[in-house]
Amino acid sequence: MLSQRLIGRTTVRSAFKPSGLPTIAPSMSRWRRTYATEAEEKDLVIIGGGVAGYVAAIKAGQEGMKVTCIEKRGTLGGTCLNVGCIPSKSLLNNSHLYHQVLHDTKHRGIEVGDVKLNLEQLMKAKDLSVSGLTKGVEFLLKKNGVEYIKGTGTFKDEHTISVQLNDGGETSVVGKNILIATGSEATPFPGLEIDEKRVVTSTGAIALKEVPKKMLVIGGGIIGLEMASVWQRLGSDVTVVEYLDLIGGPGMDAEIAKASQKILKKQGISFKTNTKVLSGDTTGDQIKLEVEAAKGGKAETLEADVVLVAIGRRPYTGGLGLENVGVDVDERGRVVIDSEYRTKVPHIRCVGDVTFGPMLAHKAEEEAVAVVEYIKKGYGHVNYGCIPSVMYTFPEVAWVGQSEQELKKAGIKYRVGTFPFSANSRAKTNLDTDGMVKMLADPETDRLLGVHIIGPNAGEMIAEGTLALEYGASSEDIARTCHAHPTLAEAFKEAAMATHGKAIHF
Amino acid sequence: MFATRALRQAAQHAERTPSIKFVGKRTIPSSVDHTPQPHPASPTHTLPASFTSASSSHNTFSSYRDHAQQFGPLRKTIKADGSGVGGASGSQLGPVAPPKGVYFDRNELPARFHRAPISLDEIEALESGGAAAFA
Repeated sequence: MLSQRLIGRTTVRSAFKPSGLPTIAPSMSRWRRTYATEAEEKDLVIIGGGVAGYVAAIKAGQEGMKVTCIEKRGTLGGTCLNVGCIPSKSLLNNSHLYHQVLHDTKHRGIEVGDVKLNLEQLMKAKDLSVSGLTKGVEFLLKKNGVEYIKGTGTFKDEHTISVQLNDGGETSVVGKNILIATGSEATPFPGLEIDEKRVVTSTGAIALKEVPKKMLVIGGGIIGLEMASVWQRLGSDVTVVEYLDLIGGPGMDAEIAKASQKILKKQGISFKTNTKVLSGDTTGDQIKLEVEAAKGGKAETLEADVVLVAIGRRPYTGGLGLENVGVDVDERGRVVIDSEYRTKVPHIRCVGDVTFGPMLAHKAEEEAVAVVEYIKKGYGHVNYGCIPSVMYTFPEVAWVGQSEQELKKAGIKYRVGTFPFSANSRAKTNLDTDGMVKMLADPETDRLLGVHIIGPNAGEMIAEGTLALEYGASSEDIARTCHAHPTLAEAFKEAAMATHGKAIHF
Repeated sequence: MFATRALRQAAQHAERTPSIKFVGKRTIPSSVDHTPQPHPASPTHTLPASFTSASSSHNTFSSYRDHAQQFGPLRKTIKADGSGVGGASGSQLGPVAPPKGVYFDRNELPARFHRAPISLDEIEALESGGAAAFA
């Protein structure tokens, strides 16, 4: 009886199929006329097309999985490509060029005439970099057979995501596995309403229409200092207010942070460390910030045209409907996962800023590859002890592994070796001699524990330290590796020599 | 003729052995323990109890059904290879009974298990002791 009924239903259904219509390409399947029960089940549905999401989508496509990637921004790449790392690097690079042409050419033997800033063109150059990269990512998704849906995804149940399409309408996607990669957003400052014009987050700070006369930056972390550098170079009077006694945020070695603060101060950025912001007033022409010493003291009012709120970022899970599937978040809003990126519901996994670990694009990228490998092969790898960090000020600051204060706190013995760029031939010829390389190694085994660099091109040089740390190299291994002359990288080798024995050129 | 080799052999005792050792071709372990472990970057280094409890602790019938569904229009198969009906044994699916302190609502069951709606005629028939049915 049951089989008869089933056969009957199938026959009826097939009788209503529009057989005369032309076949539509699989890439157009979203617009195909379908029946509810015919929704194709994907191997992996990814919510979020940021660095974590799109990398996972490409990797899964390469692994032969049927993948859908849902992104609501309208462009792929997430915060990093659209309003984060990439546009800020464009502004940092071009503002540095402008500043150098303005202030650092005469003694190099270059006479420059009238130098003018064209902010509109500076922003256009930034937008061009961004659009080129986001379109490139979209092409890569297509190339790897990933279905890309522009819309907002919400959990309907454990396997179904309903999507409010950006162009109107609704659809739903069914997936065997689901990956949450919704990223993060700037943490707002209580009492200061963000309008992205006068009170801005990093998103507004990369799109200001004119150079503010006075700018206040709340938070002396990486984002705050990079943006402070951009606008200070373009002519703003910038003050950074930091609650802690050191700039740079967590992980930066204290000695390096102090050196960085000294150099940035010399460049013209003012710092108010050990200072807390009590309140803000945006009613007047100038924004007023009430500040006082962190440990209590006399209050002071600071005024500015633009205030940048850069006190950190928080996981973004708004509208995701996590409550519909019972996925846990911790007290800071991070999705709780296990070591294989599984949430409480094992086929729903999570990577990137929205879960544990540092909020870094390259960390998200590593996780994205690992999570697809876990799904496909049951085996993945991310070394959380070996994730580099870079601050793209001038000079750059970069580090990997543990800092001196972290080692002290953990009671781990270490040996330090340093080498200043003022003793490096290439830095001397470039007339960029600020900074140093600092290396920390185990005194018994000589195994590398951490590398901290402040200096020109530190962000590129840290790759060598990261590789050495990942391989468990000793400082002697680095010291005995031949480095080309004359290069900045020689400073890296010499720091290793200083850690293991003695540097030659210092 | 083999000057380099001879020199190298002669100097072998003085050559340094690198600390980094080549461990050979990378292989994926044949058996990997997939029991949930705390994430290495987790601040608490622990997992909530909900991660470690048995797979039978579905707190709604629909969540049990999502796990137990083997075929049908929802296509929520547990087995990725789609081995179909009987792809997993009943014991693998876990008990249908709710965990302690959780009660399934009849309305969460498929429609055929819901209470049949009472029509106005039926109500009237009940209230009139059956007389309305013959009116």
